[in-house]
Amino acid sequence: MPPKLQVIELDARYGDRHVLYDVSLDIPDAAVTAIIGPSGCGKSTFLRCLNRLHEETPGATSTGRILLDGEDLRSKDAVSVRFRVGMVFQKPTPFPNLSIYENVAAGLRLLGVRRREELDDGVVDALLHAGLWEEVENDLDAPGTSLSGGQQQRQCIARALAVRPEVLLMDEPCSALDPIATHKIESLILKLKREYTVVIVTHNLAQARRVSDHTAFFYLGKLVEFGPTLKIFEQPGEKLTENYVTGRFG
Amino acid sequence: MRWLKALDRTFHGITGAAAASLLLLLLGLLIVLYDGARPALLRFGPGFVLGSSWDGAHDLYGAYPAIAGTLLSSGLALLFAIPVALGVALFLSEMAPPWLREPLAYVVDLSAAVPSVVYGFWAFYVLVPFVRSTVEPGLASLTGGTGPFSGSPTGLDLFTASIVLAIMIVPTIAAFSREALRAVPRSQREAAMSLGATSWEASRLAVLGPARRGIVAGVILGLGRAIGETIAVAMVIGNIYLTPTSLFSPAQTLASLIVNNFGGVGPGLERSALFEVGLLLLAVTVGVNVLARLLLGQTSEPRGPRRPAGFRLRASALLGRQHHPLPHPVSPASASAGADSAVAAGRWSSHLVDRVPKNLRRRRALHWVVVSICAGALLLAILPLASVLTTAFDRGGGAVIQPSFYVSENPLGCNPGPGRSCSLGGIGPEIQGTLLLLGLGALVAMPLGILAGIYLSEYGRRGRSRFARGASFVADVLTGVPTILLGVFVFAVFLRLDHDSATSALSGGFALGAVMVPLVARATEEGLRTVSTGVREAALALGFTRHRMSLRVVLGSARNAVVTGALLGLSRAAGDTAALFVTAGSSSFWFQGFNQPTAALTPFIFTNFGSEYANLASDAWGAALVLLLMMLLISVGARWVVRSRSVGAEL
Ligand SMILES: Nc1ncnc2c1ncn2[C@@H]1O[C@H](COP(=O)(O)OP(=O)(O)O)[C@@H](O)[C@H]1O
Ligand SMILES: [Mg+2]
Repeated sequence: MPPKLQVIELDARYGDRHVLYDVSLDIPDAAVTAIIGPSGCGKSTFLRCLNRLHEETPGATSTGRILLDGEDLRSKDAVSVRFRVGMVFQKPTPFPNLSIYENVAAGLRLLGVRRREELDDGVVDALLHAGLWEEVENDLDAPGTSLSGGQQQRQCIARALAVRPEVLLMDEPCSALDPIATHKIESLILKLKREYTVVIVTHNLAQARRVSDHTAFFYLGKLVEFGPTLKIFEQPGEKLTENYVTGRFG
Repeated sequence: MRWLKALDRTFHGITGAAAASLLLLLLGLLIVLYDGARPALLRFGPGFVLGSSWDGAHDLYGAYPAIAGTLLSSGLALLFAIPVALGVALFLSEMAPPWLREPLAYVVDLSAAVPSVVYGFWAFYVLVPFVRSTVEPGLASLTGGTGPFSGSPTGLDLFTASIVLAIMIVPTIAAFSREALRAVPRSQREAAMSLGATSWEASRLAVLGPARRGIVAGVILGLGRAIGETIAVAMVIGNIYLTPTSLFSPAQTLASLIVNNFGGVGPGLERSALFEVGLLLLAVTVGVNVLARLLLGQTSEPRGPRRPAGFRLRASALLGRQHHPLPHPVSPASASAGADSAVAAGRWSSHLVDRVPKNLRRRRALHWVVVSICAGALLLAILPLASVLTTAFDRGGGAVIQPSFYVSENPLGCNPGPGRSCSLGGIGPEIQGTLLLLGLGALVAMPLGILAGIYLSEYGRRGRSRFARGASFVADVLTGVPTILLGVFVFAVFLRLDHDSATSALSGGFALGAVMVPLVARATEEGLRTVSTGVREAALALGFTRHRMSLRVVLGSARNAVVTGALLGLSRAAGDTAALFVTAGSSSFWFQGFNQPTAALTPFIFTNFGSEYANLASDAWGAALVLLLMMLLISVGARWVVRSRSVGAEL
C-alpha cells in the first residue's frame, strides 16, 4: 500500500530560527504514526506542516515537499488541504459561543451544507464516531464548553471527523486530560485507525506504544529514527533512540 | 517588624482614601445635581421630561426636545459608527500585515486624542459646507424630500451632528472591539483554519463570536460618549430648541442645552432646570456605562438554533440503521483490495469532496470582499484626522510660526480690506491660563489619581473587599461621565463655599482636576497591572510587605506606565472645553488672580470659532493647531516613554 503522506527533505523555520532539518518520512495509510521526542524538538512544527498550518504563523517558512496521495500539498489550495487533513490540538478548542451541535457542524457549514437533514446526519455520525454521542445526545444545544475536558477533546475530534478528512493529526491530544479520559481517547484512536490515517504527537511513551503502529523519534529538529513501533521500543537502531525510550533523558 | 505591618496598613489606608475620593466624586455629583435641580423638580414634576418649551419669559421649562435630540443624534451616530469601527477592528486585528497593525492602530487611537472643540471647529468649516451643498441635497432628492429627509438642508442640524459624533466614537468602539478580538486565543483561529476555513471564515467562526460581548460593550461605551459629547455637538447642531422632525432639523441635546445656557443664567428656576437636565444626563450616561462595564465582566453564552422535535426521531432512526447513511471511509480489508493510489484516493471521494472546488472560489472571493470593505473602513476612519490636521495647518499655520503669537494678547476684531491690514495679535493669555489651569488640576488630580490607581491595582478588581471592587467599578463609570457635568458640579460646590470665585481660575483648575482623577487612576491601574504577577509574587515571597512591594517593585518597574497615565490625564484635560466653559469664566486678559476668571485655549476657540472677524478666526485656528500639536507631542511622548496598549482610546 503506498504511503498516505510522503515528507521529502522538509525544513522549517520561524523567522531565522531553524527548527526542522531535512526531515524525510513516509506516513503509512490506515495506521497510527506516533511522533515522539523531547519537548522543543519540533514535533508540533512537523505536524503543522502536514496541513499547512505552519505557514499561517507570522514569519514561519518551510522548504521541501509533502505529498498527499502523491500530490504536492503546495500545488493545492491550503483550504482544501486542511479539509482533507484534519487536526486536533493539545488543549481542546471548542468554539466557545457555539453549541455542541454547531461546533460539530462548523466544518460542514463551511463546506456549504445547508440542508437540515444533511447537517443532522453529519453531526450524529461524527459524534457516534468520536464515541461522544451517548453522552451528549440530550444536550446538543448546550454550549460546547460545558463539557468536561475529555468530552471537549472528543467533541473536537468529532468536529474534525464531520468533514470526513483522510488524515487526522493530533498534537498531544491527551496531555491536558485525566487517565480515564485519556483511555477513552486512546481506544477511540485505535478504532479510528481502521478508517483514517492518524498522526499523533505524544509526550507519553507508553501511549505511543499502546496506540501506534509506527513511531518517529525526533531530536533537536532532526528525525533520528522511524520504524515499526515495536522495533523502535524494543530494538532501536540508534543509541539516542534507545536512551530516550528507556527514559535516560527527555 | 511590627512597625512594618503598621506602615503597610497606613499605606492601605492612604491609597484607599484616594480611591474613596472617586466614590465621593460620583456621589457628590449626584447630590449636587439633585440639590440644584430640586426647585425645578418640585415645580414641574415628572412632566419636565415631556415639556417642550424653554421659555425664560414665562419660566416654563421642559426637556423633551433635548431628550429627543440626544437620542436621535447618538442613535444615528451609532448607526454610522458601528460598521466603520467593526471594519477597523477586524482589519487591525485579523487582516492587516503584522508589521502594519501597530502603526495603523496608533493612528486610529490618535484620532481619539483630538479635542472635541477642534473636531467641532473643523466640522463647522469643512464638514458643514460639504453636507449642506452636497450630501443633504443629494439625500433629499434621492428620497423626494419626505419623512426624515424633509425640510431645507442647512448643514447645521441633527444629521451633521450625528456624523461628527460618529467620527468621535469610532476610535472608542474600534479600540474596545480590537481588544476583544485580540483576546481570543490564537488556537481558536487555528482550530477553525484546520477545519478548512478561509481566514475571514476563521474570524467569523472562531473570533467574532467569543469577542461579541466585548464588542457590544465597546458599542455601548461609544453610545455613552455620544450622549455626553457636548462641545462639538453644540458647534454644529444648530441649537434651536425644537423637537426634531427631520434629519435636517436643527436641534439641541441635553449636553448642548446646558453648555449653551449655563453661563448666562443667574440663580433661579432656569438654572435649576438646567441642573435637572444635568441629572437626566448623568442618569443616562451612568446607566449606559454601568451596562457596558457589566457586560465586559461577563462571558458569553452559546448560540445556535434549537433542535426541532423531528430531529430526535431522525437521529434514532439513524442509530437503528446498519450502515452509515453517507459514503464513509471503508475498512482496511476492502481498502487493501485496491492497492494502487488512484483507488485509494477514490475511496474517500464523497459528495463532500465534490463541494470543495465548487464553493472554494466563492469563499475566497468573499474573503477578499470582506478584506476590502474593512480596509475601506480603516481609510474612512483615518480620513477625519487627516483632514483636521491639514485644515488646521492650512488655516492656523501662519499664526503659529510667529513668535509673537504666543505672547501677545488677542487683537481687536478686524477684517482686512483694501488699504487695511489687521494685527494678528496672539493667544498669550490663553496659553498662560491653560498652563495654569492644568497645573492646578494636576496638583489635585495626580496624587489622588495615582494613589487611587495603586489601590485599584493592588487591592481592587479581583480583590476580596467589596469596597475595592466598587471603587474599580466607579472609576470605570466616572471616565464615562460627561465633563460638562463635572464642570457644573465644581461650579455648584464653589457657589456654596465661596460664592465669588464660582467662575475663576481656581474653580476651573478643580474642574480639570475632576476630569483628570478617574483617567489617571485607571491608566495607573492599567499600567501597574501589566507588571507581571511573577514579579509581585517573587517580591512577596522575599518578605516584602505589600506597601514596599507596591512602591519599590511595582512602581519601580511600572514608573513608565504611571507617567503615561499622568500624560493621558493631562492631555484629556488640556483638550477639555465643556468643564472649563462653565467654571473658568470668560476672560481675554493675562492672569488676574486665582479667584478671577481666566482665559484658556479651548474656551477661546469655542467663543471665536464662528467669528466674523478674520483675524480672530485665524487666531482660533492657531490655537487649535497649538492644541493639536500639544496632543501629538504628549501622545508621541507617552508612546516613547512606554509602548503600551491602547489605553488612550479606551478611557
Ligand atoms: N511561533 C514560534 N515562533 C518562534 N519559535 C517557535 C514558535 N513555535 C515554536 N517555536 C520553536 O520551535 C522549536 C520547536 O517547537 P515545537 O515544534 O513546538 O516543539 P515540540 O512540539 O516538539 O515541543 C522550539 O524551540 C520552539 O521554541
Ligand atoms: Mg508541541
